[in-house]
Amino acid sequence: MSAEPLLRVRDVHRSFRTGPTVVHALRGVSFDVAAGAMVALVGRSGSGKTTLLNVIGGLDRPDAGTVHVNGTDVAALDEDGLSRLRRETVSYVFQSFGLIPVLSAAENVAAPLRLARVAPAERERRVGLLLELVGLADHARQRPAELSGGQQQRVAIARALAASPRLLLADEPTGQLDAETGLSVMALLRGIVESEGVTVLVSTHDAVMMALADRVIRIHDGHLDEQAAGQPYEPVPDAR
Amino acid sequence: MLRLVSRRARAQWPLLAALLGVVTIGATLLGTCTLLVTRTAERALEIAMADAAPAAVDVTVYTGTVEGPDARSVAADTRAVVTSALAPFPATTTARASTVLRALPPALAPGTTVPAQAYLSGLDDLPARAELITGRWPRHPGDAVLLESTAQLLGLTPGRQVRLGAELAHAPVPAVDVTVVGVVRPLPGRGWDRDPLAAAGSAIGYRDGRFMQPVNAYGPFLVDLADLVSTGATVDRMEVTAHPDLSNPNRRDLETVAGAIRSADRRLAGTLGDRVQLARVSSDLSSTVRAADDQQHVTAAVVLAIAVLGGVLAATALVLAGRLTADLRADETALRSALGTSRRQLAATATLEAGLVAAVAAALATPASSVVHAGLTHLPPLDRAGLTVGPGVTGAQVLAVVGGALALAAVLTVLAVRPVAATGDRRTRRELLTRSGADLMLAVFAAAGWWQLYAQPTAASPRADAVRVLAPALLLTAGAALALRVVLPALRGADRLAYRARGLALPLALSEAARRPQAVAAGLLVGLACAAGTFGVAFDSTWHQSQRDQGALSVGTDLALTLSTAPVPGDGAVVSAATAGAVSPVLHRGTAVGQWLGTAGDPARLVAVDTTRADALLRGRLDGDRGWAELGATLAPPTRVTGLAVAANAPLVLSGTAAGDTPLAVTPRLLLQDATGLRTSCTGPALPLDGRELRLPSCATAAGLRLVAVALPVVADPAGGTVAVAVTLTVPSAGSTETPADGSDWTATSAPPVPNKVTNPSITLSATPAGTALRMAATVELDGAPDAARTLVATAFPDPGPVPVAVSARFASEVGAHPGSTLSVTVGITPVPVIVTEVVPTVPSAPGAVAVLADLDMLSRARAVTGDLTFPVDAWWVGHPAGPGAVERATALHLGTVATRESETARLIGGPLRAGVPGALRLIVPAAALLLLAGVVLHVTCDLQVRAVEVARLRGLGMSRRGIRAVLLGQHAGVLLPLLAAGAAVGALATGVVAPLLVRTDTGAAPIPAAQPHWPWPAEAALLAVLLAGCLLAVAVVVTVQVRRADAAHLRVAP
Repeated sequence: MSAEPLLRVRDVHRSFRTGPTVVHALRGVSFDVAAGAMVALVGRSGSGKTTLLNVIGGLDRPDAGTVHVNGTDVAALDEDGLSRLRRETVSYVFQSFGLIPVLSAAENVAAPLRLARVAPAERERRVGLLLELVGLADHARQRPAELSGGQQQRVAIARALAASPRLLLADEPTGQLDAETGLSVMALLRGIVESEGVTVLVSTHDAVMMALADRVIRIHDGHLDEQAAGQPYEPVPDAR
Repeated sequence: MLRLVSRRARAQWPLLAALLGVVTIGATLLGTCTLLVTRTAERALEIAMADAAPAAVDVTVYTGTVEGPDARSVAADTRAVVTSALAPFPATTTARASTVLRALPPALAPGTTVPAQAYLSGLDDLPARAELITGRWPRHPGDAVLLESTAQLLGLTPGRQVRLGAELAHAPVPAVDVTVVGVVRPLPGRGWDRDPLAAAGSAIGYRDGRFMQPVNAYGPFLVDLADLVSTGATVDRMEVTAHPDLSNPNRRDLETVAGAIRSADRRLAGTLGDRVQLARVSSDLSSTVRAADDQQHVTAAVVLAIAVLGGVLAATALVLAGRLTADLRADETALRSALGTSRRQLAATATLEAGLVAAVAAALATPASSVVHAGLTHLPPLDRAGLTVGPGVTGAQVLAVVGGALALAAVLTVLAVRPVAATGDRRTRRELLTRSGADLMLAVFAAAGWWQLYAQPTAASPRADAVRVLAPALLLTAGAALALRVVLPALRGADRLAYRARGLALPLALSEAARRPQAVAAGLLVGLACAAGTFGVAFDSTWHQSQRDQGALSVGTDLALTLSTAPVPGDGAVVSAATAGAVSPVLHRGTAVGQWLGTAGDPARLVAVDTTRADALLRGRLDGDRGWAELGATLAPPTRVTGLAVAANAPLVLSGTAAGDTPLAVTPRLLLQDATGLRTSCTGPALPLDGRELRLPSCATAAGLRLVAVALPVVADPAGGTVAVAVTLTVPSAGSTETPADGSDWTATSAPPVPNKVTNPSITLSATPAGTALRMAATVELDGAPDAARTLVATAFPDPGPVPVAVSARFASEVGAHPGSTLSVTVGITPVPVIVTEVVPTVPSAPGAVAVLADLDMLSRARAVTGDLTFPVDAWWVGHPAGPGAVERATALHLGTVATRESETARLIGGPLRAGVPGALRLIVPAAALLLLAGVVLHVTCDLQVRAVEVARLRGLGMSRRGIRAVLLGQHAGVLLPLLAAGAAVGALATGVVAPLLVRTDTGAAPIPAAQPHWPWPAEAALLAVLLAGCLLAVAVVVTVQVRRADAAHLRVAP
């Protein structure tokens, strides 16, 4: 772990206007994440977890504050810069897997590599390795609708790792999975942190996931309430 | 329920607006077509009848042999009967009557023992039919005017009194005294063909049907009609013609009149009783009304076919819109079901919503269809036909609009209540089986429809039958459905190829296009609309081309002047000067082929024209790559006839001698030709062959004539033995420097049927101070009857032998002729041997007839060598007339009726009863384009709404907005391009196999020549370019908006 944090978030504000009502999703959020760490972001629904992940990944822009990923000020990037950031540095794993329905598992995994215009041979090799890594080498030609939820999430993780990102943002990756499958996915993520050295910021309600994290950051009404890694987790009242 | 529908409408207004738009377009199309077959059709009938030629609507009553005392009452009663038959239409009547022949004072026609007879004629509108040369028109009882020729022959001038004595072969009646008050000249084309002597003024050896012996007839003595019927003279023939004023007709009145005319004969006979020996009503009005009715049915069949096609298109668009709507509302429907809403309640909500859509659509479509219809009537085909109307609403239109909107709304309801299929990316086996079955059924129905069209009789009924109305829509729908089957594998192939690319945009776009069934949800609509549009354009072109082909073949040339009187030398030059085109006299009449007179009273047609200029003169489509020039070359004579130039009005001098004491005489007949090829014969008085000279009457009445043949029938009292005769014809020089022979091959021969009566025929030409002398000599056998044929013929050409002819395919079929067949056709009373050299689909101006085409010169030569120097001519044909005024100038010659290829084509295309066809065809193309674009926009919008989360995730993968736009545009272009291409292919295929079968004539029969498919490449390319540009623009706009909206907010929504 280097001294310079991979992710630095400082005093980030983000609010949304819905008619006359203003919802403050993030209120002066600040924290750092060191490279190679797995950090759990926990909070109730509507607490601002997804907004924070979107701001970090450049899918949303903060009203105020700064986000630095690997030394790059995300808020200062233009549209092309943000696209490049997501192609090269940051990747996502969505709660609903986010696979492209018409593509097979292998083609989904290859999508980031195609965006990076990786040579076909290298692309095929990397896709094979990643599917092997997530245990789906035998399902390469199957489409998402032909895979189980857990398998789809594994494909999503393989796809997220395809372009060798520095930071992996996972938005409740086990939210649509049963407990057993969710556990296997979490174990996979933990293993990837260990083996690939990827930094993972994962939003979750899952106590097991929190237990596997190096650190837990609690968010409540847009404010952070950081919890030390390994400390017992207090279940969030509305957690599923 | 109403609240739910209202709130949902507010929330989903763009979707409902799209549904409303589709229903409105469909209902508008139906309303417009209804107006075309009702309002426009009624108006068309009015205009067609108002513009009908007098001959087509006039009613003429012919009565024969009316005793003098009854003449006045018969005339009045006849007028009353015919006028009442035409009620409620006002009618004007004109009448003419001629008396039986009456004795002329012998002093007026001295020098003959043949009785001289004359007749009186009375015409209602004499000043409109003749030109006064001298004197005045009749004003008082007993006043009479004479034709110029009659006055000259009888030596009568204004002021002379003439007593017309006893009637020929009739009971004694008082004499009639008339005073000649003027001399007139008959105007051509004013009905003088109905005069007993056809306005010739006299007839030597005239045989009246009442009297067996020939008489010399003179007349008419033209008097006022009222005067004529009061003279007490027996009326030989009386005609009363009524012309109805049909300027504001309606169908019911026309049918009433048609029925009254059919029964008019009976009423006339009842009214006139035994005052007349003969009474007959003649009118084409009934058949004109029936023909107009048939034509309307033919037009209505096409318009209905277009309406059905439009309805199918609208229904297809609506099915797409309904399915997309149901898919978008699937969650809502599931929720309502989960909350306990019954299926019946769901159906009630859907019915209410669809009913409201139908009501609003009907409210919009009614005025819209009125406006569209009014706009259509301002377009050239309808506008030129005088069918322009303002927007108006009719009951039938409202019925069609409301019915159409409700039917389309029913489609919406059915789609809304049907179980929503799972939105997977692959179709279920059941879906595939259902679709395959539907496609198969469509294909079977389409094939059956095509076969019925193909096998329909040539003379099919004009009435719209289900096959003709449904077949186009069925074939296009089946074609589009089958084309969709081809497009999907093609897309999958492209998808496989695209995955070799290194980037993501292209393979992802093609994967989306090829692998998602929803990507081609609009496929049937796009393919069908494109097919309907391209078919509409091509059918329009095919129909127009067929009308042009029919017009060209019907007239046979560019301008045809059908003569009402026999032509005279110089007419050709006059016609040529008026039209500035290539002019040829034409023989066009029925003929007998050997002993065969034709079938069902339809004789074979003989068309003879100057085939050396066939390319310039003949029109109509030939088969293969042949042209008329090539065909004409096979019929044309090897060399032109030049003959001997004759100066205008030059006195030709004839003298002859015969060996021995037997008094012999010849009655010389000369054949002269003008520069246009018109040949006229001139017959002189009997010339005793005793050495005396005879000056022939002015045969050369115009400049530029050339003598091409001479016939000398020898007349002898009963005698025996043989006599050498010699006749010399001296032709004064025309002032040219040409040699006597003039390049012509003068030949002497003996004419059939007994050529051995004249032997050793010879001819020599020599130059003399008086001109060129033709000395014709032969030995004549005098045995046999005095009027037996002994004719010496001299021609400026050799015997041509069998005349080469081209025969129509129907002629070849019915007569069993083939190239090389030798036949005999009769011209006048002369049989002419012909040899078939060509079989053509049809002969110009005789479409579909049993017809023969020959060269007029060759035909004349073949007749001349038999001693028949008559040259029957029925028309002048003009190729390439110069300028638009040629028709007016030709008409102003008053030689006959003028028809042109252009006017006939314009009548066929733009006639009021036909103009609905091009009007409807112009409606379907924009309607198809509109529905296609509406469907594409709807589909793309719904597709992108459903996939908004997917689009946002592509951004999450690091794809730029530009990249996402490229993917989405590529995906939709990848679907639309092959669909448009497939639709165009289906349109082209349908044009090839169906369009010609849909083109019918006024009577519902197949057109002649047969219609050929016509694919107008520029128009089709323009249409496809517009459709493609419109689709891509619509897709680009929707994609751009959707991609801009695809932000992080969508990532919160789980699919």
